[in-house]
Amino acid sequence: MKKIEILRIESLSRAPFVVEGYLFEGSDATAPSIAIIGAMEGDSILPLYCASSLVDFFKNKIEEKKIKGNVLIIPSINHYALNIGKRFWPLDNTDLNMMFPGYELGETTQRIAKKVFDAINGYTYGIILERRPDPATCIPYVKLFKSGYEDLKAAKKFGFKMIHHRTVKSIDTVTLQYNWQLWGTKAYSIMCPHENQIDKKTASQINQGMLRFMDKNKVIEHHIFNGYESTVINRESIEVIKAPKSGIFIQIESAGRYVSKDQVIGEIVHSLEGNVIHTFLAPCDGMITCFYSTSLIYENAVAFRIAKIG
Amino acid sequence: MKTSEIFSSDLPVGEKLSIRRTRFEPASKRAKKLKRISIVSGIHGDELEGQLVIYLLADWLNKNSEKIIGIVDIYPSVNSLGVDTITRGFPLYEVDLNRTFPGSPNEFLPGQVVYALSQDIKGSDVAIDIHSSNIFLREIPQIRINKEFSKSTLPLAKQLNCDFIWIHDAVTVLESTFSHTLNSMGTKTLVVEMGVGMRLTKEYGHQLLLGILNLMKKEAIIECKDDFITREAFSSEVGEVFYLNAPKSGLFVPSLDHCAIIQKDQKIGDIVDPLTGTIYCELKSPAEGILFTLREYPVVYEGSLIARIFGENSEKN
Repeated sequence: MKKIEILRIESLSRAPFVVEGYLFEGSDATAPSIAIIGAMEGDSILPLYCASSLVDFFKNKIEEKKIKGNVLIIPSINHYALNIGKRFWPLDNTDLNMMFPGYELGETTQRIAKKVFDAINGYTYGIILERRPDPATCIPYVKLFKSGYEDLKAAKKFGFKMIHHRTVKSIDTVTLQYNWQLWGTKAYSIMCPHENQIDKKTASQINQGMLRFMDKNKVIEHHIFNGYESTVINRESIEVIKAPKSGIFIQIESAGRYVSKDQVIGEIVHSLEGNVIHTFLAPCDGMITCFYSTSLIYENAVAFRIAKIG
Repeated sequence: MKTSEIFSSDLPVGEKLSIRRTRFEPASKRAKKLKRISIVSGIHGDELEGQLVIYLLADWLNKNSEKIIGIVDIYPSVNSLGVDTITRGFPLYEVDLNRTFPGSPNEFLPGQVVYALSQDIKGSDVAIDIHSSNIFLREIPQIRINKEFSKSTLPLAKQLNCDFIWIHDAVTVLESTFSHTLNSMGTKTLVVEMGVGMRLTKEYGHQLLLGILNLMKKEAIIECKDDFITREAFSSEVGEVFYLNAPKSGLFVPSLDHCAIIQKDQKIGDIVDPLTGTIYCELKSPAEGILFTLREYPVVYEGSLIARIFGENSEKN
C-alpha cells in the first residue's frame, strides 16, 4: 500500500489541510482499476466510515495477490468541515461537489476539486459515497446520471435493491460523477443514509456492494454472495408524499419497507398541543425509498418517497 | 399598494414562513395591458443591499403614486427565513435558492419556493434581481448579463445607472438561476451585484434607485417630468476581466479603501502571518483598469478571490 498526498493547503490558524489517498497496486497491469471517494461533506460520517473500513479491508483482510487492478481510496476530501461539524467548506460554505472538474487557478474549492480530479482521472471505475442533498434518509442505492456515457449494466453488479437512473439537471454538470463520466470513467454514486450514528449493518451492506462490484468487474478476486437483482427506477416511478401540515414528524415505516396502499406510514403531532393532526397513508403499493430525517417538519415538505410497484 | 403572500408554509412550532410581494399600480384602471416590472432581492439571505434599494423605491412610489402608469411588483425578501437569520441558503435544507430554479410543485421545499416565485413573476416585461455579492467581496454597482440573452437585456442594463456591465459566457450550471429561468420564460431579466453581504452601502442604494426610476420611465411604467441623470457604464465588451487570487493562505490586509481606477502593478494589499510578523506576499494589480471587486473578509486560503479588475489590456493573469 502506498499513502499518497493528493493536496496540501496551508491555513492562517489551523493545521494544514492535507488530503491523502491509499493506493493498493494490483498484480495484473491489464486488470481494470477503481477509485473510491468517501466524505465530501462534513456530515458524511457513514461515507467516511465505509471508505476507511475499505482501507482496512485492503490493508489487512485480503491477500495482496487477489488485488488484480489498482485500487485508490480517498476516505475524505473535506477534513476541515468534518472536524468542526460543518457541512460544506468551512470558510465560504461552498460545496466541493459543485466544483468539478475544478480549476487550478480558481477559488480554493475549485483548486481542491482540480487536484482531487487529477488524482482520480483515468481509472476504469469510480465510486462516490454521497448523501442526499435534502434532509432525508434513504436505503443505500446507486444514483446514475443519464449523461450518455453511463454504464447501467455495470451498475447492477453492486447488487443494491435500487438504481436511480436520473436525468441530468444543469446543476449536476459540476458534480464529480458527471465530470468523471465525461472524462471516460464509469462513475457511480452510492447514496448513503444520513444518520448521526454509524449503523454497522448498513455500512456492511454498502461495503459488500462495493466489493461485489469490484469482484464482478475483475478488479479483485473476492467472491461474496450475490446481492439483489437491482430495480431501475426513474422520476416517474416515484410517488412523492408531502406533509399537509407542519409539526412533529414521526415516521412509522422506514426506508426499505414494502407498504400497501392506505397503510399508515407516519404521523404529524401538533408541536404545542400534542395531538395527532395528520396521519400519512401510503398512496400506492410500493417500497419507501426515503423519508424526512428531521423530527420537525415544515408544511409541504416532502415526507416520504415511495417507489411504486404493481 | 397591495401586499400579498406568494408562498407560505407553516413552520413546525407556532410560526409561518411567508414570502410576500407588494404591487403598485395606477389608481384608475386603464383599458390596455399594463407593462410590468418585478424587482427581487434576498434570494441569498445574507445579502441586504437590495432591501435598502427596494425600500427607497417603495418610498418613492408611495410619494409619487400619480406617476405610476404600469405595474411595479417588489419582492424584497425571497429567502425570508434566511434574511432574518443571517443565512445565505434556505435554512435547514442548506441549499442555494439561486441554484434551485426553475423548481416544481413536487420538489423539496426550496424547489417549491422558487417555483412559486417564478410563476408569480412570469409575464412581467422586465425583472431585476438585486444581489450584494457575499460577505467576502465588495462590488461596485454592476450588471451581470448572460451572453445568450444580451441582445434583449443589454439596452436595459445601460439605463440602470451602474458603473460596469459584465457580459459573461453561458455556463450550463447557471441555468438553475432566477435570471436564466425568467429570461427563458420571456421576461427580460437583469442581475445587479453591488456592495457587500450583511451590510448596507447607502450611496449605492441611491445610485441604483435612480437607475431603476430611469429604466421605468423609459419603459413607460412611470410617467413624469423628472430628469433621472444617469452615468454611462463600462461594458466588458470592450475589455477583459482580470482575476487576482490569493497565492498563499493568511491574513489579507488591503492597501486600498475602495474599488477604484488602478494602475498596472499598483499595490492592492499584502497577505501576512500575524503569528510571526511575516509578509507572505505583496499583491499587485495585473492590469490597468477599474478595480470592481475587492476582498472584504480578511482571512484567505490559497485561491481565495482578492480582486477583479476590468482593463483593456489583453495579458491575462
